[in-house]
Amino acid sequence: MNKRIVYTNDDGTVAVIVPADECGLTVEQIAAKDVPTGKEYHIVDAADIPTDRTFRDAWTWE
Amino acid sequence: MADIILTGDTSGAITVAAPAVAGTNTLTLPASTGTMITSATAAADVPKPTALSTASGSAPSYSARAWVNFNGTGTVAIRASGNVSSITDNGTGTYTVNFTTAMPDANYSGLITSGFASGVREDVLGFAYTDAPYAPATGTYGIKFVRADTNAAVDTNYAMVAIFR
Repeated sequence: MNKRIVYTNDDGTVAVIVPADECGLTVEQIAAKDVPTGKEYHIVDAADIPTDRTFRDAWTWE
Repeated sequence: MADIILTGDTSGAITVAAPAVAGTNTLTLPASTGTMITSATAAADVPKPTALSTASGSAPSYSARAWVNFNGTGTVAIRASGNVSSITDNGTGTYTVNFTTAMPDANYSGLITSGFASGVREDVLGFAYTDAPYAPATGTYGIKFVRADTNAAVDTNYAMVAIFR
């Protein structure tokens, strides 16, 4: 599943949900279940997430 | 093929059907007295094994209720998992394991192990968060990996978690 679910935590940091291929759920079902209630989220391609994590805690989402 | 049919007093029937193949199969009832199953949904009536078939000795067996093996570096990705719907990457070395089916309560035990961090030949320690917002819950388990020498959060290429309850 080459999708990721992105939302912003309460402290402003970016959370990236990595779906488990073997769970039998769709990415939409995973988003509905695993994104905290009330959070706006975006489903994106995994390739859209930076692979350089040197400054991971400074990531923002626009 | 031969069938044994038990007809109910009022309606319905239970059929025990032999397979239409060669060979002999045996259905053995337990020697103990009592009712085995009272209804199709009465799971509590089904005899429960107390140990895995591979276990020796008399100590009971407890298998993992959830587990995951993932790469926390580069493109974070799950290699394999069981009863895990996803992991949430919350920042450097900080993740939440999300269970597909929730635990019965939050008093489970988590086993967290790690490989070396990428490019760092120092021990990496894994911890469970105990405070909000990542404290253990029935549906989620927050974890963090740190370098043993500096206590700084670190990404690790082999992050492994198993949950027992």
